[in-house]
Amino acid sequence: MRRAPAPAVRTHRATSPWLFLLPGLAVVSAFGLYPFLTTVHQAFTDARTLTPGTWVGLDNFRRMLDDEQFWVALRNSGLYVALVVPFTVLLPLLLALLVQKPLKGVAFFRAAFYTPVVASVVVVALIWGWMLDDRGLVNGILRVLGAGPVDFLGDAWLLLLSAMALTVWKGLGYYMVIYLAALGNVPHELHEAAAVDGAGALRRFVGVTVPAVRSTMVLVAALSSVSAFKVFSEVYLLAGPTGGPAGQDTTLVMLVQRTGTGLAGRVGYASALSLVVFVIALLLMLLVLRADRKEDR
Amino acid sequence: MKWLDQPAEHYADKLGADAAAGTLPDVVNVSPDLSHPLAAAGMLMNLDKEKAAAAFKDEYTPEAWQGNALPGLAGTYAFPWYLNTGPLFYNKALFRDAGLDPEKPPKTYDELFAAANTMARKSGGRIATLAGTPSVEDFGRYGVRLMNDDATAFTYNEPKGVELLTRYKELYDHGGLDPQALTNTPEKAGQKFLEQKVAMNPGGAHDLETFKKNAPGLYRRLGITDAPNNTGKPNMYVMGLAVNKQSRHKAAAVAFAHYVTNRKNQEAFAHKVAVFPSTRGSLEDPYWTRDDGTDEGRVRVASAKMLKGAVNYTPVVMSDEMKTVLKNEVAKALQGKKSPRQALDDAAAASNRLLKRD
Repeated sequence: MRRAPAPAVRTHRATSPWLFLLPGLAVVSAFGLYPFLTTVHQAFTDARTLTPGTWVGLDNFRRMLDDEQFWVALRNSGLYVALVVPFTVLLPLLLALLVQKPLKGVAFFRAAFYTPVVASVVVVALIWGWMLDDRGLVNGILRVLGAGPVDFLGDAWLLLLSAMALTVWKGLGYYMVIYLAALGNVPHELHEAAAVDGAGALRRFVGVTVPAVRSTMVLVAALSSVSAFKVFSEVYLLAGPTGGPAGQDTTLVMLVQRTGTGLAGRVGYASALSLVVFVIALLLMLLVLRADRKEDR
Repeated sequence: MKWLDQPAEHYADKLGADAAAGTLPDVVNVSPDLSHPLAAAGMLMNLDKEKAAAAFKDEYTPEAWQGNALPGLAGTYAFPWYLNTGPLFYNKALFRDAGLDPEKPPKTYDELFAAANTMARKSGGRIATLAGTPSVEDFGRYGVRLMNDDATAFTYNEPKGVELLTRYKELYDHGGLDPQALTNTPEKAGQKFLEQKVAMNPGGAHDLETFKKNAPGLYRRLGITDAPNNTGKPNMYVMGLAVNKQSRHKAAAVAFAHYVTNRKNQEAFAHKVAVFPSTRGSLEDPYWTRDDGTDEGRVRVASAKMLKGAVNYTPVVMSDEMKTVLKNEVAKALQGKKSPRQALDDAAAASNRLLKRD
């Protein structure tokens, strides 16, 4: 019997995977890689929106050290991570435990908790802005209770804390869903065994639930710390384009936006700032993942 | 001819992207603060140097042609298009409640500060007079010299500027400004005026419709006056149409920019929207001189009158970043974190540094 000739596709074995990758690679290169490399290059130039700029070495980074706004922004972005991440790791887990139970009407609560995730951050921030206004809903309630008014939107620290609360609240549903998936994989027998051994609800939470979903907690911590460090919309919308009273609530990404946009935008300096944001966010991510690996050992 | 409308929001970014990519349209709508960086980068035609364009110069009011001239660049870089000036709205009922004459709104800064102090005292700090902090236009109208003659350094930190900020600081301490004045955007300030939480707010003729629809109660007690002024010269905003220097259809572009901004078209445009023509003689038309009894007519006639002798106070070299610098330093002074003198010195120094790197 004669053997059939080898199929034509064999001769392209080396190139065909690349052909399949090509559309994706093209998109990533054009909209991800190329802008990234351009930003890295521009960070070392004095480019402006309308002028390409010349090589200035580390000038932009040196200037950053003298820039009072940079330190304020770095502090705020850092605080955002420090205060937002613990809440986004813990609260959604508790929420997931609550709605995990097959009670009547629980689907409604699951959907309700998820709603803020779907809502536009702009709309949500505007609503919060109205609620926190000196004559808004929150201060109205405080007044009835004989307290306040609290200047949520006029005091730099309260403003930042309000923005953090908004970020935590808006992210609850998203991380809750991630936790729900993880909780579904926790063997029921473990809980039963612990209960038989006389462990209470708290003991079971610490001893069974937390270890079982620990890798998910690390994932949530990594995701939320990077997004908290890069916060823009919540603070921009609540504190206004100047970054709160006297710019005291400016975050790093807001500073990038302020310096790099407009016709006189300092693109070189803004690129240098972006690079700093990128490196710190990357380090944060690695730090969280490393902490996980250490515990594994 | 292809006409593209762009929303005002992020317009500067859109122009920047187009300019950087070499796709700037043949004719561009610009205000002087936008035309300055474009012209400095050699992207706009100097109309004074282009015979075909300079020939039209006399069709526009001298103030408008001058308003599109750019310091340090020796020339006018845009055909004057429409002008605008904002009235200052005030709440007559709040004035009356505070024992102030609702028919005699403050005309000078002295009167403004006096009225605001009375308002704060009589309302027990509940009603503020203004919702925002002083802008660069306020410094201008107060009589502060904003820049040196060749526009290479800011001078609003001179004693006159310090005096204005010191008085605003006193006003803020006494409750004359909204507690959130340091962070209020113009939209938020407008909202507070609508809710009758502040007594005065700058605006434009288009706001009347909003008041009528959203706050009929306020509309019935609405007072309209000019912004307080110590110089006798009101502030105006100028819009222009610039021609792309690299345009491949220069003659057509000049002709089109002139066509849109000629007297006939400017007047027709200003009949449709609440703006004012910059062509010579236009504002003498009865439409802008005779009060037809409506509120729109009243605002229109009052604003048109203000435009005579008005100037664009905002220095054209002042970028958005420099405006933020000033706003944030003013806020520090109002909070008492810095003395007014120190705050203005710091703002001017930081802005001058930004200016030098142009």
